[in-house]
Amino acid sequence: MRPKVGVFDFTCCQGCELQILNCEEEMPDLIAALDIVAFREAMTERGNYYDIAFIDGACSRESEIVSLKEIRKRAKIVIPIGACACLGGVNCLKNAYPMDEVLKAEYGEAASYYDTIPARPISAVIPVDFFMPGCPIVKEEFIRVVQELLAGRDPYQPNDPVCAECKAGGNVCVFDKGMTCLGPVTRGGCKATCVTGGAVCWGCRGLIDEPNIHAEKEILESAGLSMEDITKRFNLFNVCQEGVWK
Amino acid sequence: MAISMKLESSLYLPKLAEVIKVEPLAEKEKLFRLRLRDGNRLDHTPGQFVEVSVLGIGEAPISMSSSPTRDESFELGIRVVGNVTRALHRLQPGDTVGIRGPFGNGFPVSELEGRDLLFVAGGIGLCPLRSMIRYAIDKREQFGRIILMYGCREPAEQLFRGELVEWRQRQDIEILESVDRCPLDAAWEGSVGVITTLFPQLNIDRHRTTALVVGPPIMYRYVVAECLKKGIGKDQILLSLERRMKCGMGFCGHCQINNVYVCLDGPVFRYEELTKLKETEV
Amino acid sequence: MPIVTTLKADFYSSVQNMIHENEVYGVKRKTPSFAFDKLCATQELCLDYDITVLPPNQYLLPPTDPLITFNLSPEVSIRSKVESRATIILGIHAYDLHAIKLLDAVFTGNLVDVNYQARRSATAIIGVDCLNPWLYSFAASMGTALPPSIFDLWLTDLGGEYLIEVGSSRGQDLSKRYLKTKSARKVQIRQRDKFRQDSLNRYQLSLDRSAQEIPEILDKAWKNPLWEELGEKCFSCGSCTMVCPTCVCFDVRDKITLNLKRGERYRLGDSCMFDAFDKVASGENFRPTGTDRLRHRLYRKGKYMLERWGELGCVGCGRCVHACLVDIASPVYAYNRLVKEATQWPSA
Repeated sequence: MRPKVGVFDFTCCQGCELQILNCEEEMPDLIAALDIVAFREAMTERGNYYDIAFIDGACSRESEIVSLKEIRKRAKIVIPIGACACLGGVNCLKNAYPMDEVLKAEYGEAASYYDTIPARPISAVIPVDFFMPGCPIVKEEFIRVVQELLAGRDPYQPNDPVCAECKAGGNVCVFDKGMTCLGPVTRGGCKATCVTGGAVCWGCRGLIDEPNIHAEKEILESAGLSMEDITKRFNLFNVCQEGVWK
Repeated sequence: MAISMKLESSLYLPKLAEVIKVEPLAEKEKLFRLRLRDGNRLDHTPGQFVEVSVLGIGEAPISMSSSPTRDESFELGIRVVGNVTRALHRLQPGDTVGIRGPFGNGFPVSELEGRDLLFVAGGIGLCPLRSMIRYAIDKREQFGRIILMYGCREPAEQLFRGELVEWRQRQDIEILESVDRCPLDAAWEGSVGVITTLFPQLNIDRHRTTALVVGPPIMYRYVVAECLKKGIGKDQILLSLERRMKCGMGFCGHCQINNVYVCLDGPVFRYEELTKLKETEV
Repeated sequence: MPIVTTLKADFYSSVQNMIHENEVYGVKRKTPSFAFDKLCATQELCLDYDITVLPPNQYLLPPTDPLITFNLSPEVSIRSKVESRATIILGIHAYDLHAIKLLDAVFTGNLVDVNYQARRSATAIIGVDCLNPWLYSFAASMGTALPPSIFDLWLTDLGGEYLIEVGSSRGQDLSKRYLKTKSARKVQIRQRDKFRQDSLNRYQLSLDRSAQEIPEILDKAWKNPLWEELGEKCFSCGSCTMVCPTCVCFDVRDKITLNLKRGERYRLGDSCMFDAFDKVASGENFRPTGTDRLRHRLYRKGKYMLERWGELGCVGCGRCVHACLVDIASPVYAYNRLVKEATQWPSA
């Protein structure tokens, strides 16, 4: 029996779902292995029981809380996918402002037709079983997690910082190039793709379990960043993990 | 060229083994009887361990529970703690697993001949000790007294209950049992309290006795202290350590304690050796 | 074994031929540093370098390395998987070759790791003297600035030509096939020795004691507050181990196809600096803090590897010194601090 799978989207750009659809090479095998019963970005049908529910996006409306609870009831395994679902992500930047101002800024005159609440990660609303972080998620990680679940094991949850894979990949450290980076405290599993591509790590996969925030602040400061810059840097993806990093 | 060209067979290649029998031991523990597909014996020493593979899930180090004195099959008592053990618990007779090993140093059986054996088992520690207990029973005349001290958290957590009944009936084995706590409705004739509370009633000849101790890390310090109090020599207290042996060959680094490798130099150590290490629990 | 010379221009055209016929990994520029990479053209080769981002270990112990493959359906079967291809590593420095000597001891000692051995024996090593050491290197102190005798060919830059020491019959074959050589004159060998001697004096970092004394220094340092001082700043990011030429620890994992019919078991680089490295399935963590792990790493480098395999685990390349963003990974700093404080703190 193929496991029934639902893919759901909440407050997000749906880029992570697109990453799933981008698994072109594996798609025939994925479809053969999984019974995809709900996937709004890819199909119209909806099932009502899920062995695995992948959830894309943060929760930022009352109605989303209701939907999430409904999904939890019907799903055996719930896995938030992407920075928005796992961390709240960039959606949480609005939480620093009053909600009515946020609505007005976005929808102007039509603001009264919408409702919004401070954005939050899925795990703040319902219990989740595993995480698949990233902005967007890594295709290979999606395939791996599906393989591991099919084989009958808990998926590996990377907890080594980005630095490890970055160094192992032979990258020149961004600090050597005069830039700064959240790699030492950010959860790896992305093969340090941003640094490898010439950018820096922005922390999209969230903080590792025991990040040395104090040391990270120190190296950012000595690289010339102000406290305000540092806060902004941490806030981009991790504002909802404030308790951890402040 | 410094390297010789002899190509040996891969030490990472498991042998296939068939599950012959699966028997529940307690809520989270099962006993698996296995036999190598090639019909060969494992030829292990009591106290050694094997790496058990569930292909596609992974490999886990598991101590031998059976004695090499019996037939070519072997037994592993396994508690569900992680992915591999969970997958093992799903297996049925007829299923296949991979086996590498046996690895490491087990109990020094020939040196134990003629000695009084004091087995101290905490919880699942009885699984590895059973390999030596059965060895000693099968070669009963070669050993002095056999004393088993067995402590669990609750009566329901006792393993090998059928065998315990058998052993209790024997005149040549002495058994002292304890549970940390006993629910009111449980039938229990042993004592209540941590395992160390059994020591006062123990009478041994300290010169003749070797203690074989296996249990959770927390237990070791207290049990070793009791053994020392009884006058057992530091070199006559044997303990088996649990670490994350991945390769079993001293390569992967996971089971290193200071400069020893549990997979090569253990898992059975003399207390005396462990006192020289700064990173152990004892 | 013979010592010969070749004109630089001749050498570089030889390399071009070598690249045509072999898989050659050489040193290329990777601004602002250098890196080992597959050579496609001789112009890419950069033999006058100070350090490469990673040591050439990646060709002997790839970051992910398949060990076995298996079929689960229709029948269960397993096979070992050993990959090796004839390879030339070109441009290795002496300290990195000392590291390979240690890896040889680890993986081809009493127990032989066939995956390592197969690659190792298929790999020819052409090294070069590091005459202008890197700012962070302390190889001279570690006694690893000059090559151990396990190379196939060894080059010294004499200006217009390379002096080449042949170290093995494989080196001899390579030399015959590709190089245009003349016998070296005594004066050229003397010149090499002088260049080498001069290079030893150019190292900017050094141990305050001899490398042989490190185990003894560590014997008395278990409870030194230095570990706490350094451990507090540690990210546990593993950078120091990822760039280390003697770090060999690995994890083993299974990978299975979506149809659950086939799979592979592979190893991948792991680090004793990660917090889960010593965690067992029941949840116990035997080195729970950054301090515990950092101390373990520096003991492994300065003592444990020597005791078990006969070579110090630190070759003084300096990569960890530079890679650590909080400046705590340096073995030379730690060992020197311990020497300085030896008198101030009670032993062990």
